[in-house]
Amino acid sequence: MTVEIPKSLAELPVGEPRWVGRRVRRTEDAALLTGRVEFIDDVQLPGMLHCAILRSPFAHARITSIDVSAALALDGVAAVVTGADARAWANPPRSAPEGWGALCIAAEKASFVGEPVAAVAATSRYVAEDALELIEVDYEPLDVVEDPFAAMQPDSELVHEDQGTNVMMQRVFTWGEVDAALAGAAHTFTERFRWNRLGANPTETYGCVCEWDPMSLDIVVRGAMQSPSSFALGRAATFGLASNKVRVVGHAHGGSFGGKGNARGTDIACMLSRKAGGRPVKWIEDRSEYMTAGASQAWDRHYEATLTTDAEGVVTALVVKLVDDIGASGDGFGAISAAKPLTAFTGPYTIPVARYDLTLVATNKVPASPYRGMGPPPHFFVLEQMMDIAARGLAIDPAEMRRRNFIPADRFPYTIPSGNEYDSGSYERVLDEALDLAGYEQLRKDQAAARAEGRLVGIGVASAIEPGVFDWNAYAIVGMPQTGVPEGATVGVDITGSITVRVGFSHEGQGQPTLVSQLVAEYFAVEMDAVRVVHLDTASAPPSFGPGGSRLGVAITGAVLGACERVRDKMATVVAAIMHCDAGDVELRDGRFRVAGRPEVDMTVAQVAGTMLARSDLLPEGMDPLPEATYVWTAPGRTPADEEGRAKSYLTAAQAVHVVVVEIDAETGVVEIVRYCLVDDCGTRLNPVVVEGQTDGSVAQGIGAALYEEYVYGDEAQPLTASFMDYLMPTINEVPAIEKREVVTPSPVSPLGAKGCGEGAMHTTPAAVMCAVNDALAPLGVMAREVPAAPNRVWNLLRSAGTQR
Amino acid sequence: MSEHTVEVTVNGVAYTATVDARTTLVDFLRAELGLTGTHVGCEHGVCGVCTVLVDGKATRSCLMLAVQADGLRITTVEGLAEAEGLHPIQEAFAEEHGLQCGFCTPGFLMATHELLEANPDPGDDEIRDVLGGQLCRCTGYQSILRSVHLAASKTRAQRAADAHA
Ligand code: FES
Ligand code: FES
Repeated sequence: MTVEIPKSLAELPVGEPRWVGRRVRRTEDAALLTGRVEFIDDVQLPGMLHCAILRSPFAHARITSIDVSAALALDGVAAVVTGADARAWANPPRSAPEGWGALCIAAEKASFVGEPVAAVAATSRYVAEDALELIEVDYEPLDVVEDPFAAMQPDSELVHEDQGTNVMMQRVFTWGEVDAALAGAAHTFTERFRWNRLGANPTETYGCVCEWDPMSLDIVVRGAMQSPSSFALGRAATFGLASNKVRVVGHAHGGSFGGKGNARGTDIACMLSRKAGGRPVKWIEDRSEYMTAGASQAWDRHYEATLTTDAEGVVTALVVKLVDDIGASGDGFGAISAAKPLTAFTGPYTIPVARYDLTLVATNKVPASPYRGMGPPPHFFVLEQMMDIAARGLAIDPAEMRRRNFIPADRFPYTIPSGNEYDSGSYERVLDEALDLAGYEQLRKDQAAARAEGRLVGIGVASAIEPGVFDWNAYAIVGMPQTGVPEGATVGVDITGSITVRVGFSHEGQGQPTLVSQLVAEYFAVEMDAVRVVHLDTASAPPSFGPGGSRLGVAITGAVLGACERVRDKMATVVAAIMHCDAGDVELRDGRFRVAGRPEVDMTVAQVAGTMLARSDLLPEGMDPLPEATYVWTAPGRTPADEEGRAKSYLTAAQAVHVVVVEIDAETGVVEIVRYCLVDDCGTRLNPVVVEGQTDGSVAQGIGAALYEEYVYGDEAQPLTASFMDYLMPTINEVPAIEKREVVTPSPVSPLGAKGCGEGAMHTTPAAVMCAVNDALAPLGVMAREVPAAPNRVWNLLRSAGTQR
Repeated sequence: MSEHTVEVTVNGVAYTATVDARTTLVDFLRAELGLTGTHVGCEHGVCGVCTVLVDGKATRSCLMLAVQADGLRITTVEGLAEAEGLHPIQEAFAEEHGLQCGFCTPGFLMATHELLEANPDPGDDEIRDVLGGQLCRCTGYQSILRSVHLAASKTRAQRAADAHA
């Protein structure tokens, strides 16, 4: 039977929605607030050992010998593993691009500072770290590949000798008649930009407890990963096991933002467990390990962009050349961040043709990982600076520049040159609301007055797209070919009418457990606390990916509603059999089954469930008596990528306009955010409180990206940012009040019209803040081309402009 | 390794234990006493996730050794509320969506507790000043600021009610 997922709140089987779309308090909060949620480091198992990892102090060095005998002899040490064990038991992991994966422990040579060289399992972490001190490793240092441009030279030292090059991928994608557009342009603007490494840094690092049974070879991994199913598949491939031999128990975890899950650490803990006879081994990544060797670093980018316009400032072509430093291997999947810009290459604009000249390079830095937004945030930083450069060059107001180029509301669905289709939008209205919220005209007057006093005040107006509901085909150009990312839910009613929903994702912070309760409570017209949500492991949950790529809210809505529809259909069949009518005439409304024209028919969901389970004699012949159903949702209408990478990939396209006012201290180069205003449109808001929370949090991360956060490497690719003392996370003092408004243009293609919104403002904030910084600097004739615009960089710019006093 | 006997009162319960000199207070609370509500975010004294009250003062339990707690009174997140139900500060964070992943939250709650004990009517600047040492990666702090204001008004109401009783 086909299942129609409701595309709007009005299609739900209730009069007035009580939960969905309402400002609902989260069901998960009480346990979190009282310290009762079990995070991975809280897990204690009988016989559990603790793992510590010895890491390379060199960015590039051959391992000539390793002696672990003293460590093994230490009281309390149960097992030690080295690269030899990794070679014996593990394959190099999958990677993007394929073929650039590295073993979980370096066997012949270390390729970045922090790469695992050996590991110990002992009775406590303290003892395990003591044992690391007793391991003797001899290294023969090699030339270090630090700079991606030098790395591309034919005489460069090689990170992966077997590849014969440090260039992981080099390709030019051309979408439309780009050369003709460039030749015929009225105006051409070209600029270079640099985006430095930064990353997710959730407050909880990664951790896991692993068991590898030496007899059955079954693996159980408990962990704080974002996607348990991907982790299970990855471990199975790495260890050459059937996928059903690996069971992953995803724990509630303290944030992720793309940067969580350390496959190497997990594989190491598994191997230690096997060596220790199958005892559970816990590995908790410490903050320095996370920052130097975890899923911590993303987007190390060198850009050159060209944007052309006609005489009126309408953009006619966009060319982006990117050299992305992926680091020592491809198993962090940082390369997918270079592919994702295809999903929104030309932003919210009608730019008709585009070219992407993409080079991925290996160096001796930690392998790049995903981070919130997965690549478009730096791309939009570049695009929005180019829009402003063009606006300045043509003396067009930046807000007007956007307006002239926005995709008009009547042209959706709209296919962009790089192939993706945007579902809906009201971009000009969002802009109007944002300008109104900010009081834009007055802001410009105030700015003129401030400039007359010699103050460096800047206003940024930027707009970007948030692609929502990811699909692997978006990353086809770096080797991720499939279409379809399943998310499932099982909805079951018990004999008393209580409803339980079984899902495969775990709590991460974006309120999806609450959303599941909202949806089911709405559908069957019960109270939210009557719905129980159970998070299952990969052996028992329906197919699930979990959060990522701004998808879970939309995907789980599809899954839960699909399962609810199936339960309803089953129950309607039962009601029809009992009441001797046609199932098509039975309607569920406000929690009761009724039949048109027969007022005597009035059964509650609980009554039908009770009947199904306790009176099988009343059921139609051969009917499954279980009042339960599973539905697995995948985004509809996705297409495989063509040879130029073009695909219908992400299902939804949210949009936002941010207006930011900054003032730069001419003495110190410090940028202060004076006002932050934004309007966003992510379709139907399933829980507005949660949407606003995602927006606020991603503005904060975007401000960090624009002004503070940077992983710095010194000579010989030595990491200089290994703690929060050196890597500057925004605190409550760096994040200003955020003034917000919303526009709601429902998606015509998604469950309930909701669009992916979890990555949120991260797409727009760095661009908007940098537009404001450059607006402040414009009168001086200098431009900030490098992110973050930290005080030292801005101060140098001011000095080069001769204004430094 | 030198071992020491410590006597501490945690959430009103007296404990006597033998610990290694190098055991941090947070490891002691979590591993020895099983009070896992206090989390660890950095072990460098920067993130504030591990904040507990030591004799009423907000303290980073990753930077303190268990032996240093000998004779002191400690309150952790488990000790904020009665056995069932939420403390007014917890209630305020729930109402204002002051948490997402919740990993940083115990630290914020304890720091807020110290702040409101000293001043149940703090302004934005004072809140920012006190919470400037607590990192949260999820919320962007807007909802935390609102939560603390709401917690303050709940605290004032409670005190007014207590004064009447
Ligand atoms: S864990 Fe103690 S301050 Fe971060
Ligand atoms: S709620 Fe996740 S770090 Fe604060």
